[in-house]
Amino acid sequence: MQPSGCRSIAARYVCCETETHASTAITAFFPTTSVHTMTPDEITRLIFRTALKERAAFDLLYRHTSAKLFGVCLRILQDRTEAEEALQEVYVKLWTKADRFAASELSPISWLVAVARNHAIDRLRARKKPAKELDEAYDVADPAPDPETLAVAGGERRRIDACLDELDADRAMAVRGAYLNGDSYADLAARFNVPLNTMRTWLRRSLLSLRECLER
Amino acid sequence: MTTAEHNGPERRDDDMVAAEYVLGVLPADERAAAARRIATEPDFARLVDAWEAQFAPMADAFEPAEPPASVKQALDARLFAAPAKPADRPGLWSSLALWRGLTVAALLALAAYVGLTYTSLQQPGDAQRFVASLAHDDTDVRYLVIYDGTRRDVALSHVAGERPAGRDFELWAIEGDAPPVSLGVIPAGSSVHLALDENLGKAIDRGAVFAITTEPLGGSPSGAPTGPVVAAGDLREI
Repeated sequence: MQPSGCRSIAARYVCCETETHASTAITAFFPTTSVHTMTPDEITRLIFRTALKERAAFDLLYRHTSAKLFGVCLRILQDRTEAEEALQEVYVKLWTKADRFAASELSPISWLVAVARNHAIDRLRARKKPAKELDEAYDVADPAPDPETLAVAGGERRRIDACLDELDADRAMAVRGAYLNGDSYADLAARFNVPLNTMRTWLRRSLLSLRECLER
Repeated sequence: MTTAEHNGPERRDDDMVAAEYVLGVLPADERAAAARRIATEPDFARLVDAWEAQFAPMADAFEPAEPPASVKQALDARLFAAPAKPADRPGLWSSLALWRGLTVAALLALAAYVGLTYTSLQQPGDAQRFVASLAHDDTDVRYLVIYDGTRRDVALSHVAGERPAGRDFELWAIEGDAPPVSLGVIPAGSSVHLALDENLGKAIDRGAVFAITTEPLGGSPSGAPTGPVVAAGDLREI
């Protein structure tokens, strides 16, 4: 019996129209080249298969997503050795807890980034010593955004950016810095030279403004 | 802090903690407390998820960097203690046990995916499988149904929601305006099978929907539903 395509209301997750068949051979998904850029649906599928403990799917998931997640770990941890350890732990987590993805409303890449980012921040907070300087020798892959990233961006990106732009410049910078660098309240308080509680009140106000803007 | 809106100040405050967690600014102890709440409080987890989605576009700024091959080797050694090889295909129901607690949408996706995969292993026309996700807006009861039309077998996987103390869940098939027909009390357990007789099978083939009600222990005494519908859904071919 041929599959009848996207009949489910869960069209976001289930989309088979463009694929010939759910083949038993995973290589059939990627018939021509190993540098094939994955669509969100394909990544979703790999996450599901990983949850079903299919090793081949996990290997492919790693191949296609580890550069992005390593980028996340490096940026936040600013230490190459620690970022490598964190990346390993992130994929252990993904292997054992990939089923959690299904409970999330996030796009597959956003969910993977959230897992990596939260893990890296957990590591950062658990640190006793301040971070070393980032190893300047680390090689960065081609920074051009891939089509998947661009597709995910679109209107959403403009929305969060537009809302951040409504904040005072230094507050927007604090929000972006926290998100991308893993700054804690303590870090931010030191940077802006204000008491910790002031910083917290200040950032919470920014978050409230941000929410109000995002909701309208 | 701020004016309480219709959600109440508590929820507004939770939303701020969720935002702080996602942004990553909390100190270790508060962060760990928030992580525990994500694991145990679905409402809080949803707030966190919403903030993750709002902030997600900023993640474009993370530049990809190829990790060294040693990371994957160490990972494989840690998880599999062996080099990569094609995985064995797991059994459907043992796998489904992993999937308790998922959203309905994802369940449908999984069922469709598993259905496709397993269908592909069989000869064309060998089996007709349908999936239904049984849910209701007013309850947290969720079941996944996979119906094998060839073998007249209904497989039910319990996803979420407990039966009230002293009550049973009973499964019904409802065809058009006809009175619901009982498929019996749903046995406790994460996945159970019910065999259908031919008449019921035909009713389902004609498009009957499934519904679950709560009934006195042992099932409805009258043969008709007496309790509220806690979950319902119709079948989709996969």
